[in-house]
Amino acid sequence: MNEHDLVIQRFLDHELSPEERTAFLQAVDANSDLRRRWLNLEMVAVEAAQLPKIVPSAQFLSRLKAQVIPAPPSLLARLCAAVTAHRTLEWNFAGAMAAACVAVVAVAGLLSLKPERIVEVPVTVTPAQTASFGAPSDPKVFVRLILVQPNAQSVSVAGDFNGWNPAQTKLDRTDGGVWTVTIPLKPGRYEYMFVVNGKQWIADPLAAEDAGDGFGSQNAVLDVAI
Amino acid sequence: MPLDRQDEPSDAQLVASSLAQDQEAFGQLIDRHAAAIVNLGYRMVGNRAEAEDLAQETFLAAYKALSTFRADSKFSTWLYRIAANKCKDWLRVKRPGEGQYDLDADESLDLYVTEDRTPELLLSQQQVAEELERAIQRLPPLYREAFLLKHVEGLSYEEMEEILGINGDTLKMRVYKGRVQLSRELAALNQMR
Repeated sequence: MNEHDLVIQRFLDHELSPEERTAFLQAVDANSDLRRRWLNLEMVAVEAAQLPKIVPSAQFLSRLKAQVIPAPPSLLARLCAAVTAHRTLEWNFAGAMAAACVAVVAVAGLLSLKPERIVEVPVTVTPAQTASFGAPSDPKVFVRLILVQPNAQSVSVAGDFNGWNPAQTKLDRTDGGVWTVTIPLKPGRYEYMFVVNGKQWIADPLAAEDAGDGFGSQNAVLDVAI
Repeated sequence: MPLDRQDEPSDAQLVASSLAQDQEAFGQLIDRHAAAIVNLGYRMVGNRAEAEDLAQETFLAAYKALSTFRADSKFSTWLYRIAANKCKDWLRVKRPGEGQYDLDADESLDLYVTEDRTPELLLSQQQVAEELERAIQRLPPLYREAFLLKHVEGLSYEEMEEILGINGDTLKMRVYKGRVQLSRELAALNQMR
């Protein structure tokens, strides 16, 4: 780059002082070669700044937003999420039989009335009623886990009680998309999570207690006492 | 890039809202910056449909990496950086030869810049614009990138340094060489007519 090129560049980049600009313009006036070189380059810069701009269409912007931003959950989706939240109940045999009868009758009745809808029946959870089995030194409590997941293909549970192996404890599907399993547990404190379709790990948002798993998620906590 | 208006949330505020799961806020950022990103892409790759795809990739990458955006930088600068990298990636894949352009090989072009006639004397305004569009596409990608950011997008060399991660002297040289080549091509066009 020679001296002329350098001063033209500095002029185009607005780097000349007022005095230098004056001197440059005087030189341009006196030197036709410098004037020609400057005008050629100046024209390129000016024309480039005036090139027509593409104005994105409203359709493109809508499509762009739809593809980039995840859609907010619809009212229906939020309703489904609320309905499909799982509950954990503890009971003894007598209570289980009574509750099961009531639940079956209630669900069957509701389904017969409104088969196309899933209705969440509020259940009052009383303090855990438990029963001991086996030797006095090795008491166990039968705990029934329930998860409502109408769209799930499989549901299992992994926790401290099964070595966090979801393949070991699978839930059975019943009418209305209710998945259940009853497992005998020794009194103690257990952490667990449900596994839906073999890959989706679900913590229990309604568990009485939860605990961090050390990886940024929360496990449900189950306290089993006699 | 559109300037922040006083009666509207700033880009930084919209970024903060987006991080707080306000999805509409990121939509506003798209509304503000989509045109600039599409235009940069269009003039880098020369095809509107590809430019829109690149804009989509740019905003998708920005959305996913929003938590890494540092507030001490302008959002538009950050977005330009992502877009410029997307364009270069596209050129490497779709036009492999262009991505490896040897800048030094173009030094000799400077020796042939002088022309006898100024282009604007012979070409109409519209013709100049059309020819300039085509000539920009023929620029080596690194010159094209620097020239577009400087003269089409109107950015300062300081902003360009931040976007491209290249020092100002190198950028000035690329811009200058881009101007020289474009000037030469337009002048040569006049000679042919």
